Amino acid sequence: MEPEDDLCQNNWGGSSSSSSSKRREQVCFTSQHKWEDASILDYEMGMEEEPAFQENSNNNNGGQVNVDFLQGVRAQAWDPRTMLSNLSFMEEKIHELQDLVHLMVARNGQLQGRQEQLVAQQQQLITTDLTSIIIQLISTAGSLLPSVKHHNMSTAPGPFTGSALFPYPREANNLASQTLNNNNNNTCEFDLPKPIVVEEEHEMKDEDDVEEGENLLPGSYEILQLEKEEILAPHTHFCTICGKGFKRDANLRMHMRGHGDEYKTPAALAKPNKEAVPGSEPMLIKRYSCPFPGCKRNKDHKKFQPLKTILCVKNHYKRTHCDKSFTRSRCHTKKFSVIADLKTHEKHCGKNKWLCSCGTTFSRKDKLFGHIALFQGHTPAIPLEETKPSAQKGSSACENSNNNNTGMVGFNLGSATNAIEEVAQPGFMDGKIRFEDSFSPLSFDTCNFGGFHEFPRPMFDDSESSFQMLISSACGFSPRNGGESVSNTSL
Amino acid sequence: MPLSPSILSVLSEDLLVRVYGFLDPPCRKKWRLVSKEFHRVDSLSRTSIRILRVEFLPALLSNYPHLSSLDLSVCPKLDDDVVLRLASYGAVSIKSLNLSRATALRARGLETLARLCRGLERVDVSHCWGFGDREAAALSVAAGLREVRLDKCLSLSDVGLARIVLGCSNLSKISLKWCMEISDLGIDLLCKKCKDLKSLDVSYLKITNDSIRSIALLPKLEVLEMVNCPLVDDDGLQYLENGCPSLQEIDVTRCERVSLSGVVSIVRGHPDLQHLKASHCVSEVSLSFLHNIKALKHLKTLWIDGARVSDSSLLTLSSSCRPLTDIGVSKCVGVTDIGITGLARNCINLKTLNLACCGFVTDAAISAVAQSCRNLETLKLESCHMITEKGLQSLGCYSKHLQELDLTDCYGVNDRGLEYISKCSNLLRLKLGLCTNISDKGMFHIGSKCSKLLELDLYRCGGFGDDGLAAISRGCKSLNRLIISYCGELTDTGVEQIRQLEHLSHLELRGLKNITGAGLAAVACGCKKLDYLDLKKCENIDDSGFWALAYFARNLRQINLCYCSVSDTALCMLMSNLSRVQDVDLVNLNRVTVEGSEFALRACCNRLKKLKLFAPLRFLLSSELLEMLHARGCRIRWD
Repeated sequence: MEPEDDLCQNNWGGSSSSSSSKRREQVCFTSQHKWEDASILDYEMGMEEEPAFQENSNNNNGGQVNVDFLQGVRAQAWDPRTMLSNLSFMEEKIHELQDLVHLMVARNGQLQGRQEQLVAQQQQLITTDLTSIIIQLISTAGSLLPSVKHHNMSTAPGPFTGSALFPYPREANNLASQTLNNNNNNTCEFDLPKPIVVEEEHEMKDEDDVEEGENLLPGSYEILQLEKEEILAPHTHFCTICGKGFKRDANLRMHMRGHGDEYKTPAALAKPNKEAVPGSEPMLIKRYSCPFPGCKRNKDHKKFQPLKTILCVKNHYKRTHCDKSFTRSRCHTKKFSVIADLKTHEKHCGKNKWLCSCGTTFSRKDKLFGHIALFQGHTPAIPLEETKPSAQKGSSACENSNNNNTGMVGFNLGSATNAIEEVAQPGFMDGKIRFEDSFSPLSFDTCNFGGFHEFPRPMFDDSESSFQMLISSACGFSPRNGGESVSNTSL
Repeated sequence: MPLSPSILSVLSEDLLVRVYGFLDPPCRKKWRLVSKEFHRVDSLSRTSIRILRVEFLPALLSNYPHLSSLDLSVCPKLDDDVVLRLASYGAVSIKSLNLSRATALRARGLETLARLCRGLERVDVSHCWGFGDREAAALSVAAGLREVRLDKCLSLSDVGLARIVLGCSNLSKISLKWCMEISDLGIDLLCKKCKDLKSLDVSYLKITNDSIRSIALLPKLEVLEMVNCPLVDDDGLQYLENGCPSLQEIDVTRCERVSLSGVVSIVRGHPDLQHLKASHCVSEVSLSFLHNIKALKHLKTLWIDGARVSDSSLLTLSSSCRPLTDIGVSKCVGVTDIGITGLARNCINLKTLNLACCGFVTDAAISAVAQSCRNLETLKLESCHMITEKGLQSLGCYSKHLQELDLTDCYGVNDRGLEYISKCSNLLRLKLGLCTNISDKGMFHIGSKCSKLLELDLYRCGGFGDDGLAAISRGCKSLNRLIISYCGELTDTGVEQIRQLEHLSHLELRGLKNITGAGLAAVACGCKKLDYLDLKKCENIDDSGFWALAYFARNLRQINLCYCSVSDTALCMLMSNLSRVQDVDLVNLNRVTVEGSEFALRACCNRLKKLKLFAPLRFLLSSELLEMLHARGCRIRWD
């Protein structure tokens, strides 16, 4: 990691405006930190978004990124000369990079996997270069727009603010390693200690269905308040004809088709509110209030903050004012009132299910197998499950069938009580063929073998088995039942 | 005491052991009955044993101290408890263990066995559908394992395979056929950790080219079977071109995405290849293939079934690969007499030739093959409709080593043809299914001359009757597999003659409407080794037949009773008395009540491994019975 840090720094060091730009950066990042600290979560979110961001910045170095970023450099005065030097530096840098990539493209054909390490190094180099260019561009662009309204900054601490932080060496590094990762296995999952953070983020969501400070003037919107029963009702759309409830209007409309042809017209099937939009005056914005008195989301609260959608109302109400009824089946520690939250939790909580004998857990099977392949003596652990009712049940069962012989006696016409004991009596059949042999239990390799008589059959008899106790409970095979069937089926 | 010191008493023990060494298994059985001395020699010298009833296992283990190979694959009632009781006997010297289809054996038992057999080298746990990761972990205790067969262990996943791979790093042979849960990760780990692997079977797995890349890194791999790997394509096979330097045998049969170029790349990389099986994936034999295959100087086996092969390419092929002994061109479009004649002239060492469904092959080609390839052992001519007695005449004249002949669905075969065939006195397997033009006369010829016959398939041969079957039963005493399904002329008189076949173990009597209980009783009494019996649609067999079966066929392992008029009592008798029964088909039994089925199944539920039942019974049978069956490792198919 260290050398890459150096690489990044060196790139900047080599540039003409290095010192100034570097200093400027530091300024901007310390300034950003002030509010960044408040929402570390967003910062972490930002890390998640990085690949997307990187793509973005590769295509058009700028976009929304610098919009967010420029807040950090608002204090900078606009200096045309610095600007020019910055721009020329960037141009030079881009040309350099272009040449390098050209070279790599030309050599790519020959390299093909033989020198993967070299390729990886080149990729790192390019990534760091690109990063530096992007940062430069952002900071330059930022100086162009000197004044930005302060409150914008607080309303939109979007995910990209976090990613804009990456000029910190650690970030640049992460980015580099992630791109590498992407190149290697075409997946977008990273081994960062993310899940916990994301989880906490969901906890936070309890209160944050609507962004704080959505500065709508009181009265500029219509306040709706649903009743508690309405909120907790499983269905919200009901058929006027048969009364069946649906969660979605679309499903209701599909259902209505069954009630007659008049519901099958395109007009009846179309989304209802779409027609309303082209109307003359724009609809009044709707906001929702929580029916719970004293709640901050209740319209009577001093600092009332409305909820944006019905879904927000539902989730808010369930999360804040209801019992947490969904429990985690595995760890039993966490409870949730919204099932989606539970599912999200389970996704992350149950994720590290791949376990190595050394105690390390992995979120993915291939990571576990990579680990095992790397270290001697490590094996994948097989999680202890509930013990299967395997042979134990089976043996008790077979014993049961043996012990029920008494019930079977009548059934077997009384001739072969011991049929199951495998010592059938000779002489039952008036066979014209000699059958002493065939009745002998000694059929090892179908050859009769005098020596084996000394081994008594009950060697494997189940009578001494410890499962005797289970018989009555394991099987409700009562003699009475047997008797019945005998009468049914007797010849 | 008849004091005639027999010549045998002067033989010392080591001499006896040497003599014993030259005997074949049936003779050894008689040997050990001669005297105590002989019996002792037998118990000391015997190294391998196949046990039919698990009750005798402890006794046999102590009686034969030098056993190295133990086969428990046909033992019913083999479960954890049985094995746990063995633990008290201490260590045994067994090196090879066959536990195929031991579905009731779970992790606990397997671990005990693995610890018991210290020097265990070979284990076969194929078709144990309950064999999962836990069982694999138990098996991995045997660190010295070299060969493992895991075919159709349906619950085995990569984790279980990893346990075996890491526990037994000396593996040289492993078969993972039909282990559907195994993925690239498992194969990759296997190839990384077991560098000594010589034989690998990954047939039917959902593995991709990544696995083939890992496999290509195995330095000692000699045999690679990858039948029907639907995700592997030509790019994957290219890894093999530069990898696996010791490869001698490869099977890419029915790999959908593999084409000729993939096969060519294997051929290019391995000039020492001996066996190439590429059936049903090569669509056409091209010039580049012919050019490359010339380099294979040691090629012995070539299967290109289903490809388009012109006569000229077959000629080129055979002239460049003269050492070929086994060639498969079944279902090949374009194969005619010219090609086959050329092939026969060039490859005179041919032992196996598969021409199934090559409709244009006539007597001329067969005569050429018979005259040139005097060592021919196996000839498959299924559905070659143009074959007549002329072709068979030359076979009878020249092919004295012929062991297996498949003439299924060749309706040109008649009694005269059978007369010629019967001259091949070494014939072991003969398939005449759907040949309707043969009558008792032909059967007499077979019965009188082919005394070594082991297997005879007469499926739907409607032309012969009781006398023919009697002739077969008289003459072919060593038959152990006989199929006379749907031979409508047969009655009790003929079927009763089957009892002369003492070695018969597999008998199919499907759809014989004329046989009754008397016929079945005679068969049951005579054929004591009967192991498989198919009575489907034998509607006129009454209970007396099934009673006899219950009392005499003590070795029956698999039985099909569908559409039989068996009664409740007879079914219960059968199921409780047949102590080795493991696989039963009980569909459409009109006279059996639900209670009857319940009783019958309860009587044998501790030994059943496979069961086919009438679907509505699923809800009528008691749930504890079904649970019991499942717990004992029995699979039920609802029909």
